[in-house]
Amino acid sequence: MSGRSSDSTARPSGIGRVATPQPKAADAEIREVATSLAESVRSFRRSLHIRTVDTGSCAVCESEIRLLAAPHYDLHRLGFFFTPAPRHADLLLVTGPVARGMEVALRKTYDAMPDPKAVVAVGACPLGGVFAPDDWVHGNLDAVIPVDVFVPGCPPSPLALLHGLLLAVGRLGAKVTEDPFTATATPRPAADAPPPTKAVEVSQPAVAAEAASRSETT
Amino acid sequence: MAFWTLRGLLRGVVTTRYPAAGPRDQWATALPTPPRFVEGHVGPDVASRVVAVCPSRALWLDGDALVLDLGACTACGACRRAAPHAVRESGVSELAALRRADLVKRIPLRASAR
Repeated sequence: MSGRSSDSTARPSGIGRVATPQPKAADAEIREVATSLAESVRSFRRSLHIRTVDTGSCAVCESEIRLLAAPHYDLHRLGFFFTPAPRHADLLLVTGPVARGMEVALRKTYDAMPDPKAVVAVGACPLGGVFAPDDWVHGNLDAVIPVDVFVPGCPPSPLALLHGLLLAVGRLGAKVTEDPFTATATPRPAADAPPPTKAVEVSQPAVAAEAASRSETT
Repeated sequence: MAFWTLRGLLRGVVTTRYPAAGPRDQWATALPTPPRFVEGHVGPDVASRVVAVCPSRALWLDGDALVLDLGACTACGACRRAAPHAVRESGVSELAALRRADLVKRIPLRASAR
């Protein structure tokens, strides 16, 4: 069910286990993955309990995960709750490079979770971006348990995490799939061109009004 | 309390949904994001330069394409500083994907060097 795929083109640096980039996105395959995930998480409805496992991360991802409960992001309004018990959990958030010392704990947590369950890899470490597999770390979460949603970032911001959680339960789509991360070239303004004073004049009151309204509301 | 809740609902501040247009507040949009490469400006010289400066080895060359692994990118901005005319901030922070291969992007290289 996960995005696990065979790798033929490893990165020259040998870090992680990165799948070959597809020149043309296989739309049917993406739809199939999304459908199967939506099928498996349909019974979550609008309430979902999250268990987090730290497999040797630097704790910045944890700090972002903790911020999810802050009023700015407030994941409880979306029906997500944290739980300390894997037997009550529907979704597993895994951070860190999957240290081999945490492998048993990670597998036990995964096995203790009732079906259906989803696994979200949080940050660059469990995505295989930082550490190469060696005697201490697996360097890739997909090597240990099947991953359903990959949330990149170092660390991913809380809104990126929220997007990942909503993607896991099928309430939002993946925006990055179709994005080629290229931009069309636009003519650059000359270096000695006068600054756009008019735009600044227009935007300043707007910014001030925005700030005033924000201080009013908070 | 009820007043502020109702006022927040009217202004769209209090919501039970994820923002439809994505995050708009400055504290969410001002965060560093992975690079976006300008078409026609990424030649072999620019590509080798950004590959050399990338500290997280999220960029590498594969034949006639520059490969960007968003899963490894830490949005540090080193490639943007190395080639300001060819690399921009993408502004995309919602990068979650269902398949790992979706996070690996191929940027075709321009044939002639500039």
